[in-house]
Amino acid sequence: MLTRDRVAGVVILLFSLAVMWETRVLPLGNFHNPGPGYMPMLLAIVLGAMAILVALGGGGSLPLRSLAWPEKRHALAILAGCAFTALAMERIGYRLTVILLLGFILWVVERKRPVVVVATALGLSLGTFYLFSTLLRVPLPVGPGRF
Amino acid sequence: MRIRLLATLLLLYLALVPGASAQEPFPTRPISLVAPFPPGGVADLMARPVAAAMEKVLKSPAVVVNKTGAAGAVGMSFVANSKPDGYTLLMALSSISIIPEADKLFDRKPAYTMDQLTPVALISADPTILVVRADRPWKSVKEFVEDAKKRPGEISYSSSGVYGTLHMAMEMLSHAAGIKLKHVPYGGAGPALTAILGGHVDTLASGPAVILPHIKAGKLRPLAGWGSKRVAALPDLPTFKELGYDIEFYIWAGVFAPTGTPDPILKKLRDTVRQAVQEPDFKSAMTKLETPVAYLDAPEFQKFWDKDAKMLADAIKRVGRIEEKK
Amino acid sequence: MVETLQNLYLGFSIALSPSVLIYAFAGCIIGTLVGILPGVGPLAGISLLLPASFGLNATTAMVLLAGIYYGAMYGGSTTSILMRIPGEAASVMTCIDGYAMTRKGRAGPALAIAAIGSYFAGTVSVVGLMLLAPPLASFALRFGPPEYVALLLLGLLALAYMSGGSVPKALAMAALGLLLGMIGIDPMTGYFRFHYGLVELGDGIGVVPVAVGLFGLSEILLTAGQSTPPAVMKPRLRELLPSRQEWRDSVWSIGRGTVLGFLIGIIPGSAHIISSFVSYAVERRLSRHPERFGHGAVEGVAGPESANNSATSGAFVPMLALGVPSGPIPAVMLAAMMVHGISPGPLLIMQQPDLFWGFIASMYVGNVVLLILNLPLVGIFVNLLRIPYPFLYPAILVFSVVGVYAVNGSVVDVWIMAVMGVLGYLLRKFEFETAPIVLGLVLAPMLEMSLRQSLALSSGSYAVFVTRPIAATMLGLGLAILLLSLRPVFTRGLDWRRRLGLESKPSLGEEGKP
Repeated sequence: MLTRDRVAGVVILLFSLAVMWETRVLPLGNFHNPGPGYMPMLLAIVLGAMAILVALGGGGSLPLRSLAWPEKRHALAILAGCAFTALAMERIGYRLTVILLLGFILWVVERKRPVVVVATALGLSLGTFYLFSTLLRVPLPVGPGRF
Repeated sequence: MRIRLLATLLLLYLALVPGASAQEPFPTRPISLVAPFPPGGVADLMARPVAAAMEKVLKSPAVVVNKTGAAGAVGMSFVANSKPDGYTLLMALSSISIIPEADKLFDRKPAYTMDQLTPVALISADPTILVVRADRPWKSVKEFVEDAKKRPGEISYSSSGVYGTLHMAMEMLSHAAGIKLKHVPYGGAGPALTAILGGHVDTLASGPAVILPHIKAGKLRPLAGWGSKRVAALPDLPTFKELGYDIEFYIWAGVFAPTGTPDPILKKLRDTVRQAVQEPDFKSAMTKLETPVAYLDAPEFQKFWDKDAKMLADAIKRVGRIEEKK
Repeated sequence: MVETLQNLYLGFSIALSPSVLIYAFAGCIIGTLVGILPGVGPLAGISLLLPASFGLNATTAMVLLAGIYYGAMYGGSTTSILMRIPGEAASVMTCIDGYAMTRKGRAGPALAIAAIGSYFAGTVSVVGLMLLAPPLASFALRFGPPEYVALLLLGLLALAYMSGGSVPKALAMAALGLLLGMIGIDPMTGYFRFHYGLVELGDGIGVVPVAVGLFGLSEILLTAGQSTPPAVMKPRLRELLPSRQEWRDSVWSIGRGTVLGFLIGIIPGSAHIISSFVSYAVERRLSRHPERFGHGAVEGVAGPESANNSATSGAFVPMLALGVPSGPIPAVMLAAMMVHGISPGPLLIMQQPDLFWGFIASMYVGNVVLLILNLPLVGIFVNLLRIPYPFLYPAILVFSVVGVYAVNGSVVDVWIMAVMGVLGYLLRKFEFETAPIVLGLVLAPMLEMSLRQSLALSSGSYAVFVTRPIAATMLGLGLAILLLSLRPVFTRGLDWRRRLGLESKPSLGEEGKP
């Protein structure tokens, strides 16, 4: 039966195999003179071994199907927001990015009233920009129109 | 649909914002001087007084931006690939010539190439000096080299990292003197200094500023310097050239602009830096850092850089890939 | 002794003069504010604000920076406890039980204990710094690569006590963290491992984006979409103070954390980060109810918070006594001294007594100021929990992004945070603990480097680890702890066999005894 631990173990095992494959380009060196590939290979082997143990001992854990994802929609939306922020920040500037991010989360995801959304988005965006860029002198990216 | 409205607003904003006009007096907005190392590092400490002095000369703000990572490669490639409009400048150290060579050595896609950056001015050039622990027997370079020849690969030195500036200096010495030393890389110049003070290695090549207090305190003994002239603070210390080794090495700091910066702007920047290094505030800041100003304007700096880069490239090729030699 | 007191008097006369005191205050307030920002810890805070100190004279600059540093240390625990967002690697352990306490409505006591623990640790470690600096510093310098390997292996043992879950899972997570630490340019050979074309990965993955992603972002992902949002907390004054039981539980944890942190802290390098992990493991090991850990045990806040505070003061020992840049924060402080024309070195104490003793005294003053500042602030911070979650989490998200971005000015760090958020979310869904990943990430580069340095120094012989006394002692200690921790496995094994009746005779004989 597919249990949570079995699935997780197999996924981690596959990951460790991928790491071993990626490590092939690095010289391994030897026990007395470990090269750049030595530790990664060793660790990938340990990870794989542990993954096998997790999978083997995972017969008694809860079945995969019992795992519920009620927060899926929100989680995806928040991640999309993060990705948008990372992509947009150095292109359209920090302040605009944050306004849009908050606009998206509060208005589209959380369905708050427009007035509240605009006030929160503007306040947080300009406030954090003032705090970091002006007070702490950490340059945050600015976009077209120096905004 | 709410999300579509948001997107429309964004596009509208971007369409309405005017682009920068082509002909405008330079500078109209703050210049950023990128230091590719964290605050408190040499590049940062050099960049701040330079930026402050430029600000005075230009009467327009100049700010230091720390873009750190990958031994400086991140900040350097950031400037190399930024818009050549004179608003993004780089405060680089000698390692600027090392990274592209190391990338070549490992067949990597280079983070940037040296022709992507145009020199503006050299600010300082400090020769490295060779120090040994005071409790080790060598009193001169001669004794040191003789002993090293007797026991190849047994005398150890620490460095700021493989292919780092401190490693390169030692590599040049080993090559010129025909000796083999044991290299123990550390993660930065600070840990390398800690290692020799703790007695874990025998010797180290280092810039004079950080090492002087330890020489004065009698913990370390200087043997020779890599400069063409003697170090002002240590007038009795011979240079390798005087001792008959044809090697020269400096840890230098200079200002660069992305290649393609229009000539009038480049000229303005060069004039600015020339005046900036004359500022009394700048001079006193550099005195405090115990770093003599070694100003060179672009043409001479280019010559200096070419020679330095060639020397480093040769040294890196000699070292080769560490793993494959053993 | 008399001399020390005289010097201290000199120091206090400097630290308490109005022009210096005002900077101590300013530093503490700025530091607290910076520390509260998610993702911005003491190192980031002090680096960001270093340039602001260049205009001052040397003593006020050092006092200001020390204030910022202490303030950020105090403030850093706030977001860890209230929102599960660590400002730096050292607060990761605080997140676990601190946030669990918040969810149980005990945010006030957690914050108060953290502040008091930090105060105690800060003050005691300054006394240690003052009295023991020169002898300790020379001892600390004897820590070379082999000793470091031994120390880090001891740190890795902390794993055994860190989580209550399954051992293979914890080890798998540690291996994953260690693997993440392999990314970047190998400092020993120059190979760029696992870069996938991103120059930004050259120095490896930063601990802060990983910690913020695994802890902070994953919490948001798990909580934001729940059908019943987390209740808004309306704290009452009575609930802000620790109960008598909580006091009793945390007193010894604070003491142990302080000593442990100071000892780990004086060792040059970045080992001080592991002090909070080790302290957590020690508290859990010594606790009579280890099962409470992870569910809001006050010792799990008191120990690590005290340890990380005294560790970073411990790091000043080699810096002040020998002028050695003994870690990231001391390195920044040394740079500040150099900017003011002071050459840090072994002669600093003699040549600049004003600076040295003024600095020491200002650390005492700073700790008092911060305690006075922070205890009332607990009441204010706790009110942040009154903000309904749909507004709180977007704000946390924005602060995390800007905090993570600000440290290196790099979008790649924001991406790393997002990816780690997903990873943390999935791992927590599948009941894996994420703290071992952070421990692994912290340990990996140091462990690999010092191992290979040791072998470079010894020309490939592993004998260095047993012939050097400090390293051998620590490895022996580690082995003893390991065997002790394995004992339950064997005894439980016996129980299990006994239950099945496989080992009839000896167990029967044993049963007959009582």
